[in-house]
Amino acid sequence: MHTAEQSKPILLFDGECGVCRRIASWVQKSERGKSGGTSIIERPIGEDPEALRSLNPDLDIWDAYATIHLLMPDGTMKLGGEAVAEVLRHLPGTQWFTWTFAFSVFGFRPFQAVVNLAYTILADIRPLFGCESCGTPSPWIKPIRWTIKRAEAAFAEGRQAKRTVHFSPLSATATARRTLPVNPR
Amino acid sequence: MPQGSNNHKSGDTIRTATGGSFSSRVLEGKGPIAVEFMSYGCAHCRLLEPVLQKVAEMVASTEKVYRVNIGVEQELSDRYGIQGTPTLIMFLDGNVVGRVEGPSPVVSSVLAEITHPFES
Repeated sequence: MHTAEQSKPILLFDGECGVCRRIASWVQKSERGKSGGTSIIERPIGEDPEALRSLNPDLDIWDAYATIHLLMPDGTMKLGGEAVAEVLRHLPGTQWFTWTFAFSVFGFRPFQAVVNLAYTILADIRPLFGCESCGTPSPWIKPIRWTIKRAEAAFAEGRQAKRTVHFSPLSATATARRTLPVNPR
Repeated sequence: MPQGSNNHKSGDTIRTATGGSFSSRVLEGKGPIAVEFMSYGCAHCRLLEPVLQKVAEMVASTEKVYRVNIGVEQELSDRYGIQGTPTLIMFLDGNVVGRVEGPSPVVSSVLAEITHPFES
């Protein structure tokens, strides 16, 4: 798809993750009213490795879930903070400051480094916001999550379900979402 | 998705069983077979993946390992009462002989989980 048909970047997002869905929705809203229509195609990663590989042969579905991917029309992929910076370059409300991301001091790009760090932190804290597909939180998040769990338990005693550590229980909503057809704009 | 295709990275030793190929590959398959019911959006499955790949290579001569993507194969998921992912179900000559939910993503642990049911 990236060869002939793709004229706009494709932003892949984790459709199982509430934070990711909200960010995708924010990007969509931010583009609303833009002259010339949207400049980014958003697409949930889905469950079909072959469908993803048809977008880019180097795209692996496990990698796509691990890090944000932006598939560029020239066939390259931007990942993590670089993908975020590229998305911001396309949004009317943010593109005015995105020139800073290219600003370099002896090869070091301080503003891009801030974006990279912000992305890493956001990716790490997703489990705090009830992300069903984000798995085990990073070590530095665990004390915060533990505190939140304790606070929740204090207010809702006995409502905490027992679960295996390395297991993602299915929820009705997650199952329903998985059955939704992928519908790139 | 092609039936029973090897639709992961090159060097993938775990093959995918679909609704169409499950009977021929798993239920009618001879010998020990382990099936991982997983979902690509599941972070625990992501952690388990390289471990299971390694274990699948280790047991390749005696045991087959398949994955079933429950995001696509709802019917298989319902049939085996999958409550979450990853769930490993062990089959011997078409019969379920073992089951484990959320194995620890460590080679020794996964190896034990998918071989012990066949030892008794």
